[in-house]
Amino acid sequence: MAEEESAVKEPLDLIRLSLEERIYVKLRSDRELRGKLHAYDQHLNMILGDVEEVVTTVEIDDETYEEIVRTTRRTVPFLFVRGDGVILVSPPLRSV
Amino acid sequence: MSHNPSQLLPSELIDRCIGSKIWVIMKGDKELVGTLKGFDVYVNMVLEDVTEYEITPEGRRITKLDQILLNGNNIAILVPGGSPDPE
Amino acid sequence: MSTAAGEKSSGGGSVKTPADFLKSIRGRPVVVKLNSGVDYRGILACLDGYMNIAMEQTEEYVNGQLKNKYGDAFIRGNNVLYISTTKKSSPEVSGNST
Repeated sequence: MAEEESAVKEPLDLIRLSLEERIYVKLRSDRELRGKLHAYDQHLNMILGDVEEVVTTVEIDDETYEEIVRTTRRTVPFLFVRGDGVILVSPPLRSV
Repeated sequence: MSHNPSQLLPSELIDRCIGSKIWVIMKGDKELVGTLKGFDVYVNMVLEDVTEYEITPEGRRITKLDQILLNGNNIAILVPGGSPDPE
Repeated sequence: MSTAAGEKSSGGGSVKTPADFLKSIRGRPVVVKLNSGVDYRGILACLDGYMNIAMEQTEEYVNGQLKNKYGDAFIRGNNVLYISTTKKSSPEVSGNST
């Protein structure tokens, strides 16, 4: 375990160590993905499998002006993520 | 020490600010004031004793920070010595 | 007369380049603020020349409110506004050293 931690010498190592694991990806425009990481490159372009996408939207009610937060979920068997939309990547929770 | 301002390179101007207060205006609604400790070719800057001003819908938000590395990517204007706060 | 951005001396009141700063903050608690205004607080594991950042024990704050926690987090550098050392005693946030 200590050996694995010392293998993180640069940030992308964190992604490398998550290959073939389920990861969480936060994207621009309030999109979140959870899926198995099959491949990535230095731009953070990624190929994910068995993906659940969650899109969060906030609408303002016409009459009450209350904020309505909606989440839309869908599953995609296989997809490509373009790296420039990525904000954050988190590997599965390892025992801290 | 007389000098012709027109012969001063922008990077030399910033270099002269090291150790002094500098006012940084970002693209968008953010400004920072702090003491410039150093910078690099991208004008990423190390600032100390920083006050950050954000214009939000709820009003102006002020954050105090010890020491930061500011990404040069979104910097619009640098003002040597200046401050947006009259106090 | 000898102040140059490339000067590499350490200690109070001297020049500190971005490279010096990055060397000094590894393994330390930091706040990373993104252009979107979201803050990430955690321990800085490592970073690279793009300002890509790996953090541990990361907490995500939106409008000052804790929204999420991540054991490990990779933040893509293009989103980063600044990396800050966390103040031991901030005038805004009460709650002193324990």
